Amino acid sequence: MEFSFSSKYPFTSEAKQKVEGSSLELNDEIMERAVQRVVAALKGEKEHAYRLHPSDELIELGSYAAARVMLAYLKNRFLTGRFAVAEAKRASSFMRSDSEENIRKLGDELGIKPTEFEGRMVLPVSQYVSFSPRSVDYRLIFRNVAKGFVEVKRPEVIRLMEEAVRIRMEALKPVQSPPKIIQEYSKKLMVLVPKEAVMKMSFKEGDNPPCIEKLLEQARAHQNLNHQARWALAVYLLSKNVSMEKVHSIFSNLPDYDEKKTKYQLEHVVKRGYTMPACATLLSYGICVADCRIGSPLNWKGKVENWKKRKSSSS
Amino acid sequence: MEEKEKQFVLKRFSEYYRKASIEVPSVEQREFGVGGFEKKIESRHMGFESNAALQNYLIKDTPLYISHSIAYYKFPKATPMENKGWGGGDLIFDLDVHAGLFLSKEEQEKVRSDAMRLVEDFLLSDFGVRRDSLKIVFSGNRGYHVHVRDPAYRMLEGDARREISDYIAGKGLDYRSFFSSPEEDKWKTYGPREGDWGYRGRFYRMAVKLLEENPGAIHRRLLKPEEAALLREGMRTGLWSKTSIKDIVDRMGVVAKMLPVQCIDVDTGVTIDTKRLIRVPNTLHGSTGLIAKELKSLDNFEPYRDAAAFGGEPIKIEALQPIPAQEFLNSTMEKLEKGEKKEVPLSYGMYLLLKGAVTLSS
Repeated sequence: MEFSFSSKYPFTSEAKQKVEGSSLELNDEIMERAVQRVVAALKGEKEHAYRLHPSDELIELGSYAAARVMLAYLKNRFLTGRFAVAEAKRASSFMRSDSEENIRKLGDELGIKPTEFEGRMVLPVSQYVSFSPRSVDYRLIFRNVAKGFVEVKRPEVIRLMEEAVRIRMEALKPVQSPPKIIQEYSKKLMVLVPKEAVMKMSFKEGDNPPCIEKLLEQARAHQNLNHQARWALAVYLLSKNVSMEKVHSIFSNLPDYDEKKTKYQLEHVVKRGYTMPACATLLSYGICVADCRIGSPLNWKGKVENWKKRKSSSS
Repeated sequence: MEEKEKQFVLKRFSEYYRKASIEVPSVEQREFGVGGFEKKIESRHMGFESNAALQNYLIKDTPLYISHSIAYYKFPKATPMENKGWGGGDLIFDLDVHAGLFLSKEEQEKVRSDAMRLVEDFLLSDFGVRRDSLKIVFSGNRGYHVHVRDPAYRMLEGDARREISDYIAGKGLDYRSFFSSPEEDKWKTYGPREGDWGYRGRFYRMAVKLLEENPGAIHRRLLKPEEAALLREGMRTGLWSKTSIKDIVDRMGVVAKMLPVQCIDVDTGVTIDTKRLIRVPNTLHGSTGLIAKELKSLDNFEPYRDAAAFGGEPIKIEALQPIPAQEFLNSTMEKLEKGEKKEVPLSYGMYLLLKGAVTLSS
């Protein structure tokens, strides 16, 4: 027996209709599974411990829906982010071997509709740039672009669809007073959240220029940072002689944190001896948020000291 | 600027708006912001029910500057921004040159040809924008705004808009990223090939041209016809390692050097800001008195002739600084020394007055 379309992709409208049309009620079994689902996401488990027999479709769908309601109730950005990444990866693992028909159906739902142009598989530019992962390979500038289309290959379409699922998962409608059972299990869930998921970074405010403060703040709030932002932040902190462990712990706040990858990337930054990008570059990446006129974020300290000097000499 | 001069300026602006035709598409869904002699935007979160109401406002409460949101809102006047109900926005490109008191002929020509290439090579060709959803507007000062009202691009978020603006500006364009070697076939190098689009296609065509016209500039060995033919054959299918020249990718740096010439320096900050306010087409620019004119075509457009709003009626001015000779309204305005008084055509006098270069003289 195969998993149904809805079980594989519980975020689709088809799945939603199934749940709404059934007499499914929240019970301990579903809630237990929902908690497991979030915890597995948190641990970054590749194989899901909660995977059910295909015939348990409604429990599968119910546990997904219940997990979403708990996350909406808890308003915990870190949890939501991790859950979004895990669900997106889960969906894409199904997509890779799914039928063309199902992929088309899912693409329609997610707003990713490949077509053909001059004999090549393409996506409309607007769809492509809305869901392309922020990595160099996917930058529009290196792609075949013509007449409003971008050439893509099938695995790339699936990667974009994964990103679309992640974005969809991050949007939660606020829940004020959910059923009691949701509240109970939300409490239980929070007990299971590993303590190291809590922020471990402290910098005195004003130590860093506004752009870096903003990135740190986003990391603190468990928001995802794009590739350039991560890179700028890592190079900045390492240039400031912040220890590798501390930089690593800051990146552990990001929703798609992967210990091995982060370690590799940070070591790469050190090994290659990357230097801090100039303010002009940060401006082009959209990271610059103020007009400090310091040329490079590393000049911030000097600027602040100058201000202090001028202030004390004028008063 | 003195009070009586401010009154003079605003009175003339109001007279312009009596005769002008200002049409903002979907005006009722736009937020407006206006500015005066202190700041270009002094207050925002304004809205108008209709273009008639907007025009009436311009005549009666004449502002020095007026801008509308690139975005469409359910409630344009609501605050804070989150309550407006964002419903997408036009895709905007801002082209500018840094100039002194006037744009030189060369600067005018540079920014005009950039605007043409932006429209022809990028928006129409690469991005498939429909011509009828494009509006080209002289900014009223030193450049052009291009408004794209194609529904396909309307709902894009800031990050997605950045990809498009980076593409046009060529930000991070490193030609080496066009080339790759598959894991299982490390000695093979694949790159741009016949029929490729975008920068890959541009790069390919430039490489072919150089190989045909001046192969020695790439590598001495390519002066031998059979070696050049071998590379040419490989390039056609994208297999660049077909040549015996080991460092062919490095050698292609000479082609890559010519690539940035095709990019256009659009202001990224403007394009990515989905809540941006942009000058209302066909209104006056408060720093020049020129019309931010919507253009049917960029051909032969000259701002100091075609965007003048006030004609040639004489006014008397006194120069606060030396002013060079300048083409304006189809004739040459003579240069002025500091402190010199002179009668000049109103459009020109208004330009200098708003630039802070002259005062009104009795």
